Parts: sequence; structure tokens; C-alpha cells
Amino acid sequence: MSDKIKLLIVDDEVKFLESIAKRLEMRDFDVTKATNGQDALEIAGRDRFDLVLLDLKMPGLNGKQVLEILKKEHKFLEVIILTGHGSLDSAVECTRLGAFDYLPKPYELESLLEKLQKAYQVRLQKKFEVDQERLEKIGKLATGHSALSILRELRKLDNEEK
Amino acid sequence: MSPEHYRSLRRQTTLRLSLTYLTPIVLLAIYFMFQYDAVVSESERLHLKAMAESQANTLDLFLSERQVNLSNVIDDPTFPTQPTSADLARNLEGLRRISNAFVDIGFFDSSGVQVTYAGPFESLERRDYSSEEWYSTLREHTASFVITDIYLGFRQRPHFTIAVSRVTQQGLIVLRATLDPQKIYQYLSSLEGSGEVVAYIVNLNGTCQLAADVIAKPLDTCSFVPPRTPRQGSIRATVKGSSAIYGYSWLHTVDWSLIVRKPPQHHQSFFSSTNLRVLGIATIMVIVGFIVIVNRSRKRVELQRDSDISRVQLGHAAKLASVGELAAGIAHEINNPLASINEEAGLMKDLMDPAFGTPVEPHELVHYLDSIQESVFRCRDITRKLLGFVRKTDIELKEQDIHKLIDEVVDGLLGHEMVVSNIEVTRDYGEDVPKLVTDGNQLEQVLLNILNNALDAMEDEPGKIAIVTRRTDDKVRINLSDTGKGMNREQLEHIFVPFYTTKEVGKGTGLGLSVSYGIVRDLGGEIEVQSSPGQGSTFTLVLPIHHETPIAEN
Repeated sequence: MSDKIKLLIVDDEVKFLESIAKRLEMRDFDVTKATNGQDALEIAGRDRFDLVLLDLKMPGLNGKQVLEILKKEHKFLEVIILTGHGSLDSAVECTRLGAFDYLPKPYELESLLEKLQKAYQVRLQKKFEVDQERLEKIGKLATGHSALSILRELRKLDNEEK
Repeated sequence: MSPEHYRSLRRQTTLRLSLTYLTPIVLLAIYFMFQYDAVVSESERLHLKAMAESQANTLDLFLSERQVNLSNVIDDPTFPTQPTSADLARNLEGLRRISNAFVDIGFFDSSGVQVTYAGPFESLERRDYSSEEWYSTLREHTASFVITDIYLGFRQRPHFTIAVSRVTQQGLIVLRATLDPQKIYQYLSSLEGSGEVVAYIVNLNGTCQLAADVIAKPLDTCSFVPPRTPRQGSIRATVKGSSAIYGYSWLHTVDWSLIVRKPPQHHQSFFSSTNLRVLGIATIMVIVGFIVIVNRSRKRVELQRDSDISRVQLGHAAKLASVGELAAGIAHEINNPLASINEEAGLMKDLMDPAFGTPVEPHELVHYLDSIQESVFRCRDITRKLLGFVRKTDIELKEQDIHKLIDEVVDGLLGHEMVVSNIEVTRDYGEDVPKLVTDGNQLEQVLLNILNNALDAMEDEPGKIAIVTRRTDDKVRINLSDTGKGMNREQLEHIFVPFYTTKEVGKGTGLGLSVSYGIVRDLGGEIEVQSSPGQGSTFTLVLPIHHETPIAEN
């Protein structure tokens, strides 16, 4: 497992998708591309990602729908919404649904990198907190329980991590 | 609208108002003039007849008196059987005291020779009159007196005579007096009321007996001879090209007819002074009416033009408003290629940056440059489409394929929006739907407004828009159904009210449908709506196949 940030970019604009993917790869991101919502969900189900860049307006499943499913299925995944629409309402609604932030297209790469950075930190923080909690739980379990039951609890916690 | 349009509108309005308001005046004036003329003619007729009768009676009386004067002389027992010239001269003097019409008198023996004569024409003495008609009449005892027509006789001057006879032991004796027609005519002219008419007398053959110089000379053939029956009357006759009413009355004492008519200069038939007055008043009324009408037409057309101009302006504003509603979608359309350009440009910069390893060769960048150009053209196409839609302002009626129009709006202006919003558009175009004579640009605007609303009604959820076109009789129906949130009763009642909107603050202007309604009505059609909450909405445009240029009243 590499130490690169694993990033999924979802956009129906192929040219945009190709270029931004390449640029982020050059900046040491591990980038996976999806051109629609269904593909994105499928890919996210197979692999574990740190961050998702998600376009709002897409044929098929739109960004909002994809966001809802992703946030439900992947606890620590942080999503940044990309929108050409520029409408404040839809972006605000997405942050309410769990998106980390939004970015209207076209944007400066620096602001994207900044947001990605912040999002990754938040993800790390959350993961750290959860890990901390888990350790405490394990600590509690360690007293007065059989070795087998401790093992069983650990497995349960591990499954929650997704 | 062109100035020519308003000129022709003004002409039409003027003509229509003129026909409505001026025709009755003209007809009334003409009717009045004819009616007045008829009344005048009738009264003139009666007047002339009465005049002829009264003058004829007077003349009858006059001639009877002269005959009685003469009879008194011959019937006088003291009248000598063989009067001398001195006797007759005395008698003539007595007669002339009674009437200055007497010119001379003569005495005839039974052989018809004038044996004695008194008067200015002494050469007539001893002339034989036995073959004269008047003498034969007396000799054959068919009458006791004779009044002759005017004739020249031996003296070669117009005159007429009254002869009375008496039978004595010596046979038939006759006393004859000659009368001066001029004197009689002067007498007639002196009668009351004769000044306003011209009177003359003709005999049975139409020979003029007595007349004013303006009409004819004695013994001329008269151009108008009245009928024998009825004995009095009035007739309109055309003599020498001028029509006039003649009153006449046949005399009892002699076969003469007295004729009266208005002096020619007083008789101008139709264009009498009263008629001219009526004509003058009518003309003034027509002129004043026409000026008022021209003025009103001008004002009316000006009002029409002002309202057209403001409607065009409002229409343009509303169009901009509907474009404003479209702008969100367009922003998406433009921002996407811009984002691509941005990324590709950034990528090229990265590729040439030594910080990312060996810089690439310029030819390796061509692919990205092409791609950038492509995106630029995509933006250009979008702005062009948008400007093309806003710029068209003139209303022009042309034959339009509405299916092509619908496709232009659905695929052109809203195509990408439909795809990214996951709206499935189904089209069911009726094969028998003909081309419409209508304003394509305005219709596009209506379609855009309705489809924009449909998109908004879906609220970012996937949905369907069904477009169905059908022909019914002389109309075409365009159904636009969406699967959006629909409207309740209260909303339905207000959707065509300007500035009413169901959209969030800042999203809708509330002008789209009210303007669409105005446009469709101007194009001779109507908009029907069916909707209920949760069931979507169906807008139906009903358009006439042929639409004439609307000429608004008021």
C-alpha cells in the first residue's frame, strides 16, 4: 500500500477529467477516473479511497445522488463537489448532505489542492479519533474478558471502519 | 412594424370611419334635395295651373265683353241700316272709350263687301270679304258672332277681329271690329300675379297668338301646344332642350289656350337655391366630418403604434428575462469547456515545467492545443445561439416547420441541460401536422419558457418530458407534459399573471408565462394547462394553421 492520497475523480467531461487526472498524478496523487455516477459507485465499492472529486451535473446518477450513497457506505470518505453550475443553493445543499466543500468550475489549481489538503487532514483526523476510540474500547475489553471474545470484538470494530 | 403598415392601417381606418359616418349624411342630403325638388315641382304645377285658369277666365270675360260691346252697337234699334263713315266713327269712338283695344270697325252688307269703314286703314273700304272664313260662318248662321285667330289680313299687320251679325229685311248685316293684340296682352300683363310668370296664347294649330317678345312673335309656330283635354292642367315639357312646367287653360269664347310658365332664368331645375343651400351644408358637414375622422384615425393609429412599440419592448424585456432564467443552464454549459481549457492549459504548463521532470517537446503539446480550440468553439457556439435568440426582435410571420422549431429548442438551447439533468425527452410528431404561418422566434420563446418551467419543476430529479403534436381541423395542438411536481389549484389560477412565480426568490421573474400567453394570443392561438400536485403538468399550445396579421381594435 503506497502512501499516496487515493483520489477518485467523477466527471462526464472527458477532456477535463483526463487533464486534471494527469496534473494531480504529477503532484503525487493516486488518481482513479470515472465518467458517470454508476461507475464511480462501483469503483468506490471495489477499492478504498481517501477523497472524491465529484461533478454535480451528470447524465444518469447525478452528483447529489452519488454523494448520498458514498457518504452512507464509506464513513471516512471526504467528497469535494465540482460544479459548472455555480449555483450556491445546490452547493450548500451538498455540504448539508455531507460534502466537505465545493468548488465552482473553472478554478485555480492551487485552491483545489488546498481543499484536497484540508479534506485529507479532516479524514486523517476522523480516522485518528475513531482509531483512538477503538484502542480505548479494546483496552476496556482486555480486562475481564476471554481472549476469544476480545478477538470477536476487534473484528466487529474493524468492519465498522469502511 | 414598418411605417407602411401604419400608413395602410390609417388609410383603412379613415375609409371605414368615412363610410360609417359620412355616407348617411350624403344620402340624406341627396334624398332631401330630390324630395324638395318634387315638392317644389308639385306646388309649382298647381300654382301655374291656377294661374292659367284665372288668366284664361279673365281673357274670356274680356273677349265676351268686347263681343257684347259690339253686339250692343248692331242691336241698337237706332243703328242705321246704311251707316255712314261718320256713324261708324262715332260708334268706334264710343267703343274705344270702353276699351282701347278696338282699332277700327267696318260694316258689311249681305254680299260680304265692307261698305263702310272707320279707322286708320281706309283702303280697306269696299273690299270683298265674302270668301273669308269668319264671314261664311256668320252667313251660314252657325253663330251670331265670330272671334278670329290673329292674322295679317289685307293690312299686313297681326290683328284679330270680332264680328257680330244681325238679320234684317235687307238680309244679313255684319259689324266687325278689329282689336290690337298688343293691347290685350298689355291688359293680361297688368293682372295681379302675372309678373312672376310668362303668359302666351296659342290657337288650335299651335300658332302663337299673343306673347311676350322673349317667348315668340305673334303668328310664329309655338313650340309647346297643350292637349285639348283636360281643358286645364299643367305639364312638364322639354322645349328646345330646357325642361319646364307649363300651366294651360283653354278659353271658352275662342279656341285659344292660355299658357303660363316661369320665366326661363328662374327655372334651373335641380340646382335651385334651396338645393344649393342643402348641398352647401352637407358639403361642410362632410368636410368637417372628414377632418375629424382623419384626425381620429391618426390618433388611433398613433396609439396603436405606441402600444405596439411598448409591447415589443415588453416582449424584449421578457425575452431577456427568460434568457436570464436560462442563464444558469448556460453558465453550466460555458463553465464546463472553460474548466477543460483551464486544466489543459495548466497541464501544458506542468509538462513544460522542469520541476516535473524532462520538459516535453512542443509538438507533443499539439494535442492539447487542439483540444483547447475545440472547447473555445464550443463556448462560441453557445454564446452565438444565445445572442441569436435575443437579437431577433421583429415580428415576422413565415411558414414554419414547428417540429424543427421544437427540435431547435430541445436539442439546441436546452440539449445539454436535458442530458445532464437526466430528463428524457420523447417526441411524438403527428405526420399530418402542416407547416404553420407564424412567428418562429416568438414561438421558440414560448417553448423555451414552458420547457424551462418543466425543467425547474423536476427539481434536479430525473424525469420525462413528452412532446406531442397533433392536427385538429384548422389548428395544431402542441402538448408539452412533464413529470415534475405539478401545481395546485391556487397556482394554476395565477400562472399567467405577470410577476407571479412559484419559483424560489431570485430564480423566476414571473414574466415567462404571462408573456408567453400574450405571444400565443397575438399569434391567434391559446395556451391550455392541466396540472395537479405530484402529477406533473401539461401545457398545450393551440395554434391556427394560418394566422393573419392582428389588427388590434382601439
